[in-house]
Amino acid sequence: MSKNLRITNNKFIDQTTKISFKFDGKTLYGFKGDTLASALLANNIHLVGRSFKYHRPRGIMACGSEEPNAIVQVGNDASITEPNTRATEIELYEGLEASSQNCWPSVNFDIGAVNNFFSPLIPAAFYYKTFMWPANFWKLYEYFIRKSAGLGKSPTEPDKDIYDHRYLHCDVLVVGGGISGIMAAKVAAKSNLNTVLIDDKNNLGGTTLFQKNECFKINSFYSNDWLRKEIETLNSLKNLTIKTRTSLAAYHSYNYLLARENLTDHLDLNEKRDKIRQRLWKIRAKKVIIATGAMERPLIFSNNDRPGIMLSSSIKKYIDYYGVKCGQKISLFTNNDSAYETAISLNNSGVIVNSVIDIRNKTNSLIVKQAEKLGIKIYWKSSVVNTSGYKKINSIEFMKLSDDATTVIGKKIKEKCDCLGISGGWTPRVHLFTQSGGKLKFRDVDNVFLPDKSELDQISIGSCNGDFELDDVIKNSVNLTNKFLKINNNDYENLEIISSKEIDKKNIWLLPSDKPLGKTKQFLDFQNDSTANDVKLALREGFKSIEHVKRYTTTGMATDQGKLSNMHALGIIAETAGVKMGELGTTTFRPPYTPLTFGTIVGRNVGEFFDTTRKTPIHEWHVENKAEFENVGQWKRAWYYPIGNENMHEAVQRESKAARDSAGILDASTLGKIDIQGSDASEFLNRIYTNAWSKLEIGKCRYGLMLNEDGMVYDDGVTTRLSENHYLMTTTTGGAANVLSKMEDYLQTEWPELDVYLTSVTDHYGTVSICGPNSKRILTKIIPDLDLSDKEFPHMSFKNALIDNIKCRVMRISFTGEHSYEINIQSSYAKSVWEKCFEAGKEFNITPYGTETMHLLRAEKGFIIAGQDTDGTMTPVDLQMDWIINKKKYDFIGKRSLYRSDTIREDRKQLVGLLTDDPNEILEEGAQIVSETNSQPVEMLGHVTSSYYSPNLNKSIALAVVKNGKKLKGQKMFVPMKDKNISVTITDTVFLDKENKRLNA
Amino acid sequence: MLNFNSPIMDTKEYSEIKISEVEPILKINLRGKSRDFITKIGKELSIIPPTESNTSSGNENLNILWLGPDEWLLYSNNKIDLNNINILENKLFNEISKAKIGSVTNVSDHWIMINLKGKKVFELLASGCPFNFNEFKKTKGSVTQTLLNHIDVIIHNKNINDLNLFVRRSFSNHLWSWIKDSSRFI
Amino acid sequence: MFLINCPYCGERDQSEFSAGGEAHIVRPKQPTELSDDQWAEFLFMRKNIKGVQFERWNHAHGCRKWFNMVRDTSNDKIHAVYKMGEKPPIK
Repeated sequence: MSKNLRITNNKFIDQTTKISFKFDGKTLYGFKGDTLASALLANNIHLVGRSFKYHRPRGIMACGSEEPNAIVQVGNDASITEPNTRATEIELYEGLEASSQNCWPSVNFDIGAVNNFFSPLIPAAFYYKTFMWPANFWKLYEYFIRKSAGLGKSPTEPDKDIYDHRYLHCDVLVVGGGISGIMAAKVAAKSNLNTVLIDDKNNLGGTTLFQKNECFKINSFYSNDWLRKEIETLNSLKNLTIKTRTSLAAYHSYNYLLARENLTDHLDLNEKRDKIRQRLWKIRAKKVIIATGAMERPLIFSNNDRPGIMLSSSIKKYIDYYGVKCGQKISLFTNNDSAYETAISLNNSGVIVNSVIDIRNKTNSLIVKQAEKLGIKIYWKSSVVNTSGYKKINSIEFMKLSDDATTVIGKKIKEKCDCLGISGGWTPRVHLFTQSGGKLKFRDVDNVFLPDKSELDQISIGSCNGDFELDDVIKNSVNLTNKFLKINNNDYENLEIISSKEIDKKNIWLLPSDKPLGKTKQFLDFQNDSTANDVKLALREGFKSIEHVKRYTTTGMATDQGKLSNMHALGIIAETAGVKMGELGTTTFRPPYTPLTFGTIVGRNVGEFFDTTRKTPIHEWHVENKAEFENVGQWKRAWYYPIGNENMHEAVQRESKAARDSAGILDASTLGKIDIQGSDASEFLNRIYTNAWSKLEIGKCRYGLMLNEDGMVYDDGVTTRLSENHYLMTTTTGGAANVLSKMEDYLQTEWPELDVYLTSVTDHYGTVSICGPNSKRILTKIIPDLDLSDKEFPHMSFKNALIDNIKCRVMRISFTGEHSYEINIQSSYAKSVWEKCFEAGKEFNITPYGTETMHLLRAEKGFIIAGQDTDGTMTPVDLQMDWIINKKKYDFIGKRSLYRSDTIREDRKQLVGLLTDDPNEILEEGAQIVSETNSQPVEMLGHVTSSYYSPNLNKSIALAVVKNGKKLKGQKMFVPMKDKNISVTITDTVFLDKENKRLNA
Repeated sequence: MLNFNSPIMDTKEYSEIKISEVEPILKINLRGKSRDFITKIGKELSIIPPTESNTSSGNENLNILWLGPDEWLLYSNNKIDLNNINILENKLFNEISKAKIGSVTNVSDHWIMINLKGKKVFELLASGCPFNFNEFKKTKGSVTQTLLNHIDVIIHNKNINDLNLFVRRSFSNHLWSWIKDSSRFI
Repeated sequence: MFLINCPYCGERDQSEFSAGGEAHIVRPKQPTELSDDQWAEFLFMRKNIKGVQFERWNHAHGCRKWFNMVRDTSNDKIHAVYKMGEKPPIK
C-alpha cells in the first residue's frame, strides 16, 4: 500500500483492521470500511478496465452506483463468480477476489486496444452497419465480438448462495438516507406513522456525513456534526425501521416497490456461509418519500476518459470519507461551485491542488472566496481542451473561452497533474420517480429534469427535487414532508444555517476544442464508449427521436443505464437539432435501478420450492412401492410401477394386461370433486352440462361434458346424485380449479336466482379405483354386507357404505371399460383402504397401475381425455359424441355455438381411431397425418392425439383428429416421419369391447 | 380397523417460532344467504356466523370463520373423537341443507390445520405472503384468506402470536417444508 | 402489482385476484333465437379500449367472489370497484 495516499485522521475507516484482497491476481491491502474502489485508489491503482469498443484504458470515476468504468468480476469460483459489479459499491472483505472485466489478455496489455487506432473506422452503429452482411455470417462475427466485448463471465455452476424474499407494509417509505431523508423519516416516525428508511450505503448520512466546511454550518456546528447527532436520535424512534445496504431496485404503480438488501456481501469469506446473501423486500407503502439525492455530471471535452479523471465530488468523498488521496497533484475543472468544496477538502488534507479551471466568469460566492483565501489558484472563463497520459493522466491543457463560449482562444496552458476532478453540475436522481410513472419538467436555469406530476401518493425532497443549497434542502424537505403527511412538525424551525450560495451558473454540454470534432474523442457514455461525435453523426443520418438516437448510438444502454451520460446526450441533441431540452424529453428509466442478481429475483423459489407440489393421501404407498411419478398440473401422480429392471413400456404392458385379465388398482384421488347442494342443483347441472340431469335417479351416476360458450369441450367427468338436492361432481385433475371458478362465475353473475352452493371437496376424499373382472370379488371381501349384484348395484350407480365403521361412498363407474369401482373415503383413511384393497386383491394378483396404463386402457375403449384429445377447438360433434348433446334442452352453456356456420362445417377436424398397417409400429403423439406423400407442399389433415401399444389387442392403436375424419373411415393415410412414411388406416375410436360386455363381466 | 393418517404429524421449534400440525380437527364448510340460515346456525351451535368480513365468532368448542358473504368455515377448537365425527355434520345437514336454506359440507380432511406460535410468526408469514398483517395481528379473532408461498391458506388469529393456518391437504406437505425452510432464516 | 379493494374483503394484493375480461356483457336469455351474427357479437366482440374500461375481476384466492372494476387501462388507475348486479358508480 502506498502509505502516502492514505491520510490518518479519519473516523469512517478502521485503520487498525487491515484486510487483504486480490485484484487481477495481485494481493493488496485495504482497511475495514473501504470499498474495493477506495482500496484500489489507496494502492495507487486507477486503471481497472478497458472501454467497451475502443479498449481504451479506463479508471475509477465515481464513488457510487453511477460508476461507469470500474465494472469488475467478483470471485473466481465457478458457482459464485459474479460479473458486472461496481467496484465503488463492493465493501472490502477478507478474501475478496476481483478482476477487470473488459480486457484480454490483461488490463495493462489489451489486444483490443488496436481498435483505438482504427477508431475513425468505428463510428456510431458500426456493428449494425458492418456486420449486417452477409446475414449468415453473424454467427461468426458474434463469437469474436462477444469474446472481446467485456461482458464478464457467467457462473457455470448453480449458485450456492441463499436468497430470500420478504413482504413489508408501511405507512411511509423514505428512500435515501441523506440529510433530507433523515429529517423526513424522523418527522414521519414522530407522528406515529410506521416508517421505513432505506439507504444503499452501509451507513446513513449521504454526503453531509463528511461535509466539514466553514461554508456549511447548522446551529454553529459543522453540518456533518449536526447530522451525526440527528442520526443518533433516530434509534429512539419506535416507529422507525432503518435498513442500510438496501438499494431500491424498482418502483411500480400502487406504491409497490422492490428493494434489495445486502446481508453478507460485506462479510469476510468465512462468515458468509449458511446465511442469506441478499433479500428482496417487496414493499407496499401507503406513502413514499423519495430522497435519492443528485449525481454529479462529468464534463465533455477531448480525451475526458483517461484513468485519473474523476468526478470532483468523488475525489472529495475519497479524501473526506475514506481518507484516500486520488492523486498527489490534483487539478479541478468545473462549471459550478461544488468543485471548490473538493479543492478545500484536498487542501485541508495536504494534497496539492494545482488549480481550479472554471468555465464561468469570476464569481464571488462564499465558497469561492474561501478557496481564494486558502490560496487555491483559479483560472476563470477557461476550458480544458486536451489531456495526456495513456494509462494514467499526466497533464492537461486548457485555454481561455471566447466571450460567446463557442471557441477557445489565446495561449494553451499545460499543467502537470496525476488526477483531474471534473464537475459539470448536478443531475437529480429522478429515476425512481419516472419508474413509477411520474412526469418530469425541465428547469432551464441549471438544466435539470425535476419531478412534476405523479399519479401516486409520493413526493420527492432534497436534491432529487432540485434543491442544491443546504438551507433550501433543510427548509423545503421539512415543509414538503409536513404538507405531504398532513402534519405539523416544527423540530427544524429556527435553525441557524450558514450555506454558501451559488451565484453564477453556466453550462456548455460539449466544450469547445482547438481541434475539429472528428479529430478527437469526447466521451459521453463511458461504459458503452459512445462519443459526442457519435450522437452528432446519428443526427446527421436523420435520427430525430431521442429514443432512436439512444438505440442507434447505444448511449445510455449499458449496465449503468447512462446515469452519467444521458443529460449530455440530450443536451447535445437539443443543441444540434435546435430544440429546447424540455421539449425533447428524456428516455425512460427502467427497473432495476442497479442490476440485480438472478438469485435475488428468484429468492427461495429454487430446488424443492421451484414449483408447488401436491400429493395424494396415498402418495407414501407409491413411494414405498417404487412408483415413477408424473407431474399432472401441480400433482405428483404415480406414473407406473416398474418391477426389477422394467422400463416404462414393459411396466405399462404388464399393468395393462393385469387390469383386464384380473384386477388393477389406481389412485384416482387427484380428480377434482365438487359438492353441489341446493334446491336448484339439477337445473344448474342442466345448464352446465350438455346432457339432461333432472331425471337422474338418486343413487345414480352420469357422465357429463362441459362446454365453453363457444361450443368447445372444456372438461368432463362423472356426477353422482347423492340425494334430491345434493350432487357430487368430479372433474379432470387439471381442470378442477377452473371448473369450480367457472361455475361460481355463472352462479354469481348470470344465474344469481339459482339456489345452488358449491364447495370443493377434492382434498377431503381419497379415491381408490379397482377394476378388472375380479374387482367385485375384492370389494366383497372389503365390504361384505354390500349387495354387489348387477341388479342392486348396476353400472353407473353409487352406494353409501361403511369400511370398519368409517363412512365411504362407492361408485360403480369405469374409465377402463372394465367392471370397476371407485371408493371415496375421507383422505385420512385413504391409504389404509388402499392397503386393505391391495391385501384383499393379492389372491387375484391385483396390480397397481399408474396414469400411463390408465391412459392406455381408456384409449383401447376410445374414451377421450379432455386436454389431450381435445385442445379447445373440438366440439362434442367433432369428438363423435353427438349422443351426449340433449337437443331438447332449451339452453346450456355452449349450445347456441354448436350450430354456428363454423361449427357445422363437415370438414372440421374430427376424432377418429388409427391403426398402423404394421401392428408393431407405435405412432408418435403429435405426428401429422397426410393423405399422400408425393406433392409439396402437402396438406396436413390432422395429427395423432393419443398412441399406445395395446397388450390386450396385441397391436398399436391411436386416436387422432383428422379433417372430415368421420367420412374417411377405412381410408389409408400416411404419418410422415423423419426417415419413413408410416401407413395407417382410419377406424372407429373404440378398439376393444365395442359391446361393453366387460362392464358387467 | 382402518388407520388414520394425517400428512404431517410433526412439530418443530425454532427461535421464537413453534409450528405443529393439529389433527384431527372437525371442519365443516357452511354456505347460505338468508337470514334463516344465520338464525338456524345460531340456534344449533349457539354461535352466530359473523357477517363482518375477515372476522370470526366462537365459543369454547367451536369457531366460525368468515370466508365470504355467504360462506363460513366451522372448526373445532380441540381434537375430536374420530368415532363421533359425523354427528354435528349430520345434524347441521338435516337442519340446513335438507331444509333448503344453505349447504353443509364436511371438509375435515380437505383442510389441514397447522398451528403457528411465537413472536416471529408474522415475520415468517411475510416471507411468502403479500397480505398486510399490520392490523390483523392486533385484532384477536381476525381471519384472512390469502396466499402463502403461492398456496391458498386461511389464517385465523387465535391469540397474540398464536395462529391457526388451514391449507388444503394435498398442498400441506409442500407448505410444511417451505415453512420449515423459511423458519431457519427468521 | 395493483392493490385491489375487494368489495367484500378490502384492500388486497393483485396476486390474490384473477381478471375476467370486459364487464356488463349479459348472456342472452334466449340464445337459440339469435342469428349467427348476434351470437358472435356476444361471444367474441370486446371493446379493449385505451382509457377507462369496465372489467370483471374475481377474488380467486380470497372470498372467491366476482365483482366489477372501473380501470383506466392507460395508467392502471382503478377508479372504482362494485359488486355484481350493482350499477357502475362512474359513467
